[in-house]
Amino acid sequence: MDPVLSVRDLSVALTLPGRQRTLLDGIGFDVAPREIVGVVGASGAGKTVLSRAVVNWIEPPLAIRSGSVSFRGRNLLALPPREMRRLRRDIAYVGANPMGALDPTLPVGRQIVEKLRAVMPEVSPKEAQARVVALLDAVRIPSAASRFHDYPSHFSGGMMQRALIVDAMVSNPALLVADNVTQPLDVTVAAQVIRLMRELTERFDTAILFVSSSLPVAREAASRTLVIDAGKLVEEQATEALIAAPRHAYTRALVAQIPVIWGERPTLPAAPKPAAPVPADAIISLRDVSQTYRVKKRGSFAGTSALRAVRNVTFDIVKGDSFAVVGESGCGKSTLMRLLSRLERPSGGSVLCEGRDIAGLSGAELLGFRRKLQLVLQDPFNSLPPRTGIGAMLEAPLRTHGWRDPRKIREKVRAVMDDVGLPVSLYDDLPLGLSAGQRQRVNVARAMVLDPEILLMDETLSALDQTEQFKLLALFDKLQRAHGLTYIYISHDLAMVRKACNRIAVMYLGEVVELADNDRLFFDPGHPYTRALLSAMPSLEARRYRPEDCLMEGEPPSPIDLPIGCAFRSRCPQAFGPCLDRPPLLSVRGARDLASCHLVPGPGATLAGAA
Amino acid sequence: MFVLSFLARRLAQGAVIVFLVSLLIFTLLRVVPGDPVRLMAGGMAPEALIEQIATRMGLRDPIPVQFGRYLGHVVQGDLGQSFVRPANGAATGGANFNDATRGERAEVIRLILDALPMTLQLAALALAFALVFSGLLGIAAGLRPGGIADRVAFAVSSVFISLPNFWLGIVLALLLSVKLGWLPAIGYGGFSYTVLPALVLAVELSPVLIRTLSGAVAAQMSESYVAVGHVRGLSRPRIVAAHALRNASVPLLNLLGVQFSSLLGGVIIVEYIFDYPGLGLLTINAVLQRDFPLIQGIAIVTSAIFVLINILVDLAATTIDPRLAY
Repeated sequence: MDPVLSVRDLSVALTLPGRQRTLLDGIGFDVAPREIVGVVGASGAGKTVLSRAVVNWIEPPLAIRSGSVSFRGRNLLALPPREMRRLRRDIAYVGANPMGALDPTLPVGRQIVEKLRAVMPEVSPKEAQARVVALLDAVRIPSAASRFHDYPSHFSGGMMQRALIVDAMVSNPALLVADNVTQPLDVTVAAQVIRLMRELTERFDTAILFVSSSLPVAREAASRTLVIDAGKLVEEQATEALIAAPRHAYTRALVAQIPVIWGERPTLPAAPKPAAPVPADAIISLRDVSQTYRVKKRGSFAGTSALRAVRNVTFDIVKGDSFAVVGESGCGKSTLMRLLSRLERPSGGSVLCEGRDIAGLSGAELLGFRRKLQLVLQDPFNSLPPRTGIGAMLEAPLRTHGWRDPRKIREKVRAVMDDVGLPVSLYDDLPLGLSAGQRQRVNVARAMVLDPEILLMDETLSALDQTEQFKLLALFDKLQRAHGLTYIYISHDLAMVRKACNRIAVMYLGEVVELADNDRLFFDPGHPYTRALLSAMPSLEARRYRPEDCLMEGEPPSPIDLPIGCAFRSRCPQAFGPCLDRPPLLSVRGARDLASCHLVPGPGATLAGAA
Repeated sequence: MFVLSFLARRLAQGAVIVFLVSLLIFTLLRVVPGDPVRLMAGGMAPEALIEQIATRMGLRDPIPVQFGRYLGHVVQGDLGQSFVRPANGAATGGANFNDATRGERAEVIRLILDALPMTLQLAALALAFALVFSGLLGIAAGLRPGGIADRVAFAVSSVFISLPNFWLGIVLALLLSVKLGWLPAIGYGGFSYTVLPALVLAVELSPVLIRTLSGAVAAQMSESYVAVGHVRGLSRPRIVAAHALRNASVPLLNLLGVQFSSLLGGVIIVEYIFDYPGLGLLTINAVLQRDFPLIQGIAIVTSAIFVLINILVDLAATTIDPRLAY
């Protein structure tokens, strides 16, 4: 069969006045009709440039140096813009930034119709609308007909990505270029999107070029995978063969870097002394903490509704713990972070730090608490002031906390920079030239400079690629040993949590649904939601939990309109009678693990069974 | 539903603003030097008579009492009577205090309603000139930042913003009326009398509009949905007209709401230069004559117009970009 896409000797360079950098170097491959071809590589390897070159979207300062991209035998790179626009009907593209892909001020459905009519003018507006609604329904967007009229800001990231897949598929393209489509999505939603794309290739006879920075994700989707390193195609094999027997050294390193979830772990995270009685050395305790926001009710005159972001959360964090809070977007992780760091006070319950309610702190005491607990933020690019020197950035917290002697301040900052692995020569530099990993080190240093006891990491590693994550985790481990730190990770990345944390709380719709030690959680989860998360986690291993049994459909319900009974029942594959009207309580499983599910056999359940 | 709650909230806020403006103007007028009764009664009137008139008019009561009484009338739509203007037209003041030929004094509301349409006509024409001109130049500049249109726009804005309006008014009047005889300049005798003052006002308005528009268009064109739109198969004219310009009009609208106040400021000078019988000329004369009720009336009416226009602007912006609804 003739390939639908064939790329030959493709080279792309970044051309700036005075210098030139080759980003892609002599790439060549074919994609057959209905085939899904994966492209993997580290960030900066040239994957996105490749996916853009394939859809003829190379703009200055990028420039094609040589080669061809042939679609059904026609070289796209040589086509005049007018001809190219006609071909957009057959070549579709979905990118990694779903929220930026559509005009934010017009309804989503209307924009998809606009695109359909732009590439297929023969379709009448009415027909187009019917087609879009049908497809929105096919990608399982709930109540598609009314969602058609909603604005992009009313869509979650996952729903938007599905809408964009509709946008791409609406004209029955022969080739879809998917550039890191699952990157901004939660694991369960990403798994749904990949499954959806596989279905679509069969239904519409579409070939997909599936670009991803994660080999496990590409494995979920692609039958054949290309590996790109520093702009060069280093390996091309059937995906399973590539993972089983990588030929090139880079691929071998890539496979070796994928975190192991269920196999033997080489290093264990520093666990606190297990014998210690729990309440005595709890450094942070949450007691029945809730946070409710008032939000304006849509379509009402002055009504508000209660958004219950965090509901009745109780747990203890022991000194020396690496505690993780995991869950998908909208589960209340970030609100919990704001409560823990006292950026907000809870609307119910209390957060205790060494036995004292932090809501009542003020003045010097509050400053003391702030010194004890420091935040490390998620986004390495927007969390550093761009026009402040790195040294000055690290000095600022010291000055806030009353340090006055410039010599001592400088000494302390240098010591901390050394501690986190930042060259002291960066002291007077601006953060502009730093890589994401180095920026995150500055963030860590900014927190460490006050000698805190607790570090609160809000998705600190999620913006970094595998290699950088590896290095920073090693750094955190070193710092924990040296300073006896307690870590609280807020994360959606289970693989990272498996590697770095000893105790894990799983959140769903504002509640902690499971609280367990690391091994127990990964090998014997007590809550079906945890099992769903584990089954959706991309990995190279044989799965303990099969997506077919555990993975749920759809998205979490709105925290404004909570379901009666168990909050998870609308998506739970195991929901039964009691889930409908009785919310499950956190039940004890073994020594110190808890899960809130009616299926957890606890003392209460046995009693009910006997009666 | 949103529109109703929006209007209710904003109109309530607006009422507060108008109330505060009138309180401020009222108080200021009474603490600044210059006794209006002296002006009304004439320089030769005896002191005792002045006091008598002032007391009869309530001008010797405490300011809060005066304000309360005034506000009571305003709520019923009565802005009071002018201190100095007779109902039959022709400004007076300074005449003999017992001049029997002086008739009934004019209602403030009448004076304002006579002048307001003239000013609105002037403002609308000025805005139309400014929008057409800055629209053409600003959009062209925004679509190609750094291009020829962008540089022309920059030069034109720089020149326009440096021209004092009183100077430009006089020069244009000399050139277009006196030398070329194309347009009438002084007074009002038909629509053509509006053109020249409108041109002057438009020149004053344009630089900020051009700047905002070209900035907004350039910002929209660098949004990711524009680049993705090309890849999705939308044509460039479609992206520009249906998306970029639509969204770029939001900052322009907001600016217009604010610029309206400077337009009213500009009107005062321009109307005075061209002797154009609008609100601006009325204001100047009222101030010169210490005509308290008239000044207060103008302040209340203009602040109410200002509030209303800004409500409309925000409503229009929300219709274009529903994310602005809050």
